[in-house]
Amino acid sequence: MEFKEVIGRRRSIRYFQSWRNVEREKIQIMLEAARLASCAVNATFLKAIVVTRDSIPRETLDALKTPVSALTIELAPVHIYTYVDMGAYKGAQARLKKLVDVGALNISHGWSHKFVDEFVWPNILKPLADNADQPSVAASAASDAGIAICQAMLAGVDEGLGVCLTAFQHDAINKLVKAPKEWLPLWVLLVGYPAESWEAGGQRPRPPLEEVFFEGEYGKPFKADPKVTEQMRAAKMIQAPAPLPWRKEEIKALARMFGLPE
Amino acid sequence: MASINKPLEEYDSVKVWYQGLREQSGVEPGADKSRLEILGEFCATLERDPDEIVAACLLRKEGVETKISIKGRRSMADRIADFQAAGGADSRERARRGNIIRSFLIHNGILLQAGIQI
Repeated sequence: MEFKEVIGRRRSIRYFQSWRNVEREKIQIMLEAARLASCAVNATFLKAIVVTRDSIPRETLDALKTPVSALTIELAPVHIYTYVDMGAYKGAQARLKKLVDVGALNISHGWSHKFVDEFVWPNILKPLADNADQPSVAASAASDAGIAICQAMLAGVDEGLGVCLTAFQHDAINKLVKAPKEWLPLWVLLVGYPAESWEAGGQRPRPPLEEVFFEGEYGKPFKADPKVTEQMRAAKMIQAPAPLPWRKEEIKALARMFGLPE
Repeated sequence: MASINKPLEEYDSVKVWYQGLREQSGVEPGADKSRLEILGEFCATLERDPDEIVAACLLRKEGVETKISIKGRRSMADRIADFQAAGGADSRERARRGNIIRSFLIHNGILLQAGIQI
């Protein structure tokens, strides 16, 4: 699938084919996509633990559900529990020097081993590593983890899978997955084959570009060029908006198939 | 204990349910009379009218935003499960009975996710 279409097709899927397993290689592709994501100081802040739903004891599965995620957690055959590793700042000094060695951070931009050792590490990174419990530090690390999660989601969509990022009860699953203490829980990425159509009722409503992005200064909207919008429509990045005319009928049919309320 | 002293359709919570079924679920509630009969059965089991059943899941205090009562909602979910298990000719019919009550509460703003029922 072309990249723009992958972006256009992604939806939060909430009805999965609960009976159909996901091929392990597809999960590997998703994890690889996450691993290759952009990350500050070359620290892989995102850590994740893949668990198949059927390997989770029933009482744990029930305990990890939140009121709004209970059904989706039950339907999805693969759960990827995501965390931000607040210990990932450790080792940043060596990783940055490696980026210098491989030609990613260059003299042309002021980078050198000495700069890393004598300025970046002691003045910037070590204080961050030592204050990982500060909200601002956690927020920047979580932002990087989010980028990686997004790449995994898009890779999943490209593989024909449905994905949904949702909340989970951390303590319940941690008894099973035993995540280290310095990993802060983020979301569970639910993965499976969609039981609903891939359109899932159409592209979700979002505010127009001009409302959320600005040019030059706040208050001056970034004006969309209609020709470019048309190109994105042709590339299937912008798709028919929700609700598609048959969505209610689809939800009714899914509710009857799974035995859910209407 | 309140007695049901008027037709179920006249209770506010049933009006909200019907409106939700029409507008959100695309279902015409009047087309299937058993929906209301099952709600009536549930009301009789709990000895409460429909509005009281919804109220039992909420925490309402003067001047404070209404909240869903965790205890009330859990208790109601258990009562629905009992009601579901106690009636219906087969598993599909039992699931339908439970889901009608869940639908009633969900359309009244009470989040319930009972999972796959069949």
